Amino acid sequence: MPPTPCALCKTNRALIVRPKDHSKLCKACFIQVFETEIHHTITANKLFHRGEKIAMGASGGKDSTVLASVLKTLNERHDYGVELILLSIDEGIKGYRDDSLETVKRNAQQYKMPLTILGYDELYGWTMDQVVEQVGKKGNCTYCGVFRRQALDRGAARLGVKHVVTGHNADDIAETVLMNLLRGDLPRLSRTTSIVTSTPSAASSDPKSHTNIKRSKPLKYAYEKEIVLYAHHKSLDYFSTECIYSPEAFRGSARALIKNLERVRPSAILDVVRSGEDMAKLVPGSDDSCGGNCANGAPAAEEEEGGCGSSNGRTAGGEMANMEQQLAQNELATENGLEVEITAGAISGQSHSSGTTPLRNREKKTKNKSEAVASRKPPKQVMGKCSRCGYLSSQEVCKACVLLEGLNKNRPKNAIQVGYEAQDTDNADSMATATSRLRNVQIQAD
Amino acid sequence: MPGKHVSGIAEQTCRRCKENSAVLVVRTEPLCRDCFVKYVHTKAIKRMESFRVRNSAPDQQRKILLPISFGVSSVSLLNILDHHLKTQKSKTGRTGFALVVLFVDATGVGRSPPDKALLDLAKERFPEHEYTSIPLHEVFDLVSEDTSLLEILPTISSNKSLPSSERLPVLLNSLASATARADVITILRTRLIVEQAKKLECEGILWGDSTTKLAEKTLAETAKGRGFSLPWQIADGESHLGIAFNYPLRDLLKKELVAYVDMADPSLSPLVHEPSKTANQLSMSSKNTTIDDLMTQYFESVEANFPSIVSNVVRTSGKLEVTPISTSTPHCSLCSNPVTDGRFGIHGWGGDQEDGLVPSLTERSKGLCYGCTRSIPRQSANGDGA
Ligand SMILES: [Zn+2]
Ligand SMILES: [Zn+2]
Ligand SMILES: [Zn+2]
Ligand SMILES: [Zn+2]
Repeated sequence: MPPTPCALCKTNRALIVRPKDHSKLCKACFIQVFETEIHHTITANKLFHRGEKIAMGASGGKDSTVLASVLKTLNERHDYGVELILLSIDEGIKGYRDDSLETVKRNAQQYKMPLTILGYDELYGWTMDQVVEQVGKKGNCTYCGVFRRQALDRGAARLGVKHVVTGHNADDIAETVLMNLLRGDLPRLSRTTSIVTSTPSAASSDPKSHTNIKRSKPLKYAYEKEIVLYAHHKSLDYFSTECIYSPEAFRGSARALIKNLERVRPSAILDVVRSGEDMAKLVPGSDDSCGGNCANGAPAAEEEEGGCGSSNGRTAGGEMANMEQQLAQNELATENGLEVEITAGAISGQSHSSGTTPLRNREKKTKNKSEAVASRKPPKQVMGKCSRCGYLSSQEVCKACVLLEGLNKNRPKNAIQVGYEAQDTDNADSMATATSRLRNVQIQAD
Repeated sequence: MPGKHVSGIAEQTCRRCKENSAVLVVRTEPLCRDCFVKYVHTKAIKRMESFRVRNSAPDQQRKILLPISFGVSSVSLLNILDHHLKTQKSKTGRTGFALVVLFVDATGVGRSPPDKALLDLAKERFPEHEYTSIPLHEVFDLVSEDTSLLEILPTISSNKSLPSSERLPVLLNSLASATARADVITILRTRLIVEQAKKLECEGILWGDSTTKLAEKTLAETAKGRGFSLPWQIADGESHLGIAFNYPLRDLLKKELVAYVDMADPSLSPLVHEPSKTANQLSMSSKNTTIDDLMTQYFESVEANFPSIVSNVVRTSGKLEVTPISTSTPHCSLCSNPVTDGRFGIHGWGGDQEDGLVPSLTERSKGLCYGCTRSIPRQSANGDGA
C-alpha cells in the first residue's frame, strides 16, 4: 500500500491521525492546524488586547506546558503584543511539586519567560503539609481544593496582573458539562462553559485586589489527545504524571463517559462543549444575549479545578451516595406534600453557591411560541464579595477565609468537610464499588 | 433484575397495606405485588390529569396517539391506559379519550426491529382500541409538502420518481456511522409519528419514555450537539412539531417498568420485544456502538444504585427554558427543532475547526442544525461522510 498523503498539503506523508476528526495529516500540518485553531479561539473571542500582561498558570503538566509554548509562538507570529509570564503555585506538599516545579523552571528558561512561584504559605500562611498536620489526612483535600481555586487569582494580584490564562482543554469542559448535568447544577454548568470568566467587581479601586482578575481558557476547544500529540511532536519538556488520586465520583463518572463518547464519535467532545454553550443560554437567570460566550464573562469563583494534590480520606462514590440520599429524602418529603428546597452545595459540600434547586417538579405549562420567558425568570443568583478578602463569594465570608479561620484558631475539624464522607462505612463501601464499576463501563476499542 | 430483590424480603410486610408480604423494594419502600402495581398506575395516571372524563365533551371523543415500539415502557403504558379507560367507563359510563395505537414498521432498517406480529398480539389482548401500522419510509410521502426533509437526501434519491421505500436505504447507507444511522432513524420515526397523529386527528401523543429514558436522552442529545433543543424534547405540552407531547411514565424508572411487566396479570412479557442477543453483542464493538447505546448502559448502572440521581437529571434539564420563537423562526430540516440566530451547521462558532471550509452555502441552505449536521455531513451526497 502506498503511503497516504497528508490531507492538507497533499505532499508529505501522513503520519498523524488527528484525534478530533480522524483526518490524516503530516507532522508539520498537524502542528500548523493545532496552532491555527487556538489562534482562531483567541481572536474570535477577543481574549487578549495589546499591551496586556498575562499570567499563565504553570504546573509543568502537559496542558500548561503546551499553553505556554503555543501562546509564545502565536504572540510572536501574530504580534498580539502581550506580555506573558509564568505563575506556579506550590501547595507545600513535600516531594509532590519538586519534579513539576523543576520542569516549570526549565520551561521558563526555554521560553525566556519570567517565572514566579508562590507557595500556599505565602498566600495563606499555611503549607498543605502543615494543614495535614493540623487537621489530619481526612478532609485535607477540601482545603487543598478551596485554596487552589483562589491561589492563581491571589498570586496574579500580587504580581499586579489582571489576566490569568489556564490550560483547561475541551475534554475538561465536556466532562464538566456532563458532570453538572449529573449533579443537577445548571448555574455551574453555565459558568464553566464560558471561555472568559471574571470576578466582576469594577468597584474595587485597589489595583492589588484579586477581585478584578479575568480568567480565560485558550485551549477550550483543544482535545487532550491533540495536546499530548503536540507536546510530543514539538518535543516539549513536560512533567507527565497522571494524578494518582481518583477524581470525585461525579467527575470520574463523567470522565469515563467522555472517553467512551470520543471512541464512538470523535467529534463528541466538541459537540458536548457546543451543547454546553447553547444550554448556558437556556439556564434560568442567565443573560440570554450572552450565554457562554460573553466577553465580559461569567463569575469565576466557582470554577472547577480538576485534580488535587492529595485526596486521602475521600470516599470514592461518597459524593454520589450523599447526593442520592439527600435527593431520596426530599422525594419522600415532596410526596408527603412538603415543600423542599435543596442546594447542590448542601449535597456535594463543594459548590458553595450553586443556587437553589427547587425539587418540586415544576411543570412547564407554558412553552408556547408567544410566551415571553422573562416573566418566569427567577432572580439572578446573588454573588457578593467575601467581607475579609474580597474574593467572589455567595457567603458573607468566603470558603477559604472560613477554613483559614478554623486553622488559625487551632480548630482541628471543620464542618465543611462533611460533604465528602458517607454516613456509614458499609454504605460508603458499597457505593464505592458501585461508582468504580460505573467508571469501568468501558467498551472495547477496535 | 427487576426492582431491588433484597434478601430476606419475604419476611417483610408491605409498607403500604401492612398486610401482604413485600415482593420488592421500591425507592426504599418494601411493597407487595398489588401495592406495587397500584404505585405504577398512580404515577402514570397522575400525568394524565387533562384527559379526565369531565374534560371531554360527551358528543366528541378526544383521540390520542400511543406509539408502540414493544419495548418495556410502551407495552406497560398500553396496559396501564387500557386499565385506566376501563375504570373510567365503569365509573362514568364513558371514557375521557380514545387511544389510537400506532406501530412504526422498521423492518429491514436498523438493528433487530420488532416483528409486526406483536401488533396482532396486542390487538388480541387489548381489543378496545384502534390499531394502525405504517412503514418508516412513508415519512417521505407524508411530509411531501415539506420539501426541506427531502432536500437532505443524497441527490440520487431525492429524485421524485424514486419510491420512498428505496429512498430510506439510500439515505441510511450514505451515513458514516452507527450513531448517525440510529440518530436519523429515531428522528424520522418521531416525525412520522407526528405526521400520522395529525392525519388521524389525534390531539396529542403519549410517549412511553421512563425517567431513565429521559435522562438517557438528556445526555445523548447533549453528546450529539443538540443541547439547544432539550427544552423541546423532554417537556410535557405543546411540542416544536405542532402537537402536544405527553410523557405519562416520566416519574417511573426503567427498572420499575421491567418489574411491572412481570407482575402484571397476566404477564406482559409475551408482548415485549427483546432485541436479539447477537444484535446486543454486535453493539458492544465500538464500530457499531451508538451514543444512545452508551447512555443506555450508563444509566442502567446509575439507576441500580442512584435512582434519585437519574430523576434529578431529568428535573434539571426540565429547568432549561425554551427560547421564545415565532412563526418566522427557522427550523432544522431534519429534526425540526427551532434554530435561533441562524446557527445552522457546524461552522461559525468558537469551536470551529480549521478544516479550510468556510461555512458553506450548501450547509446553510440544507438547513440542518448543529447536531443533524454531525449525523448528515455535507459530503453524504457523494457517499463520503467523515
Ligand atoms: Zn501536510
Ligand atoms: Zn475570603
Ligand atoms: Zn401492599
Ligand atoms: Zn436538527
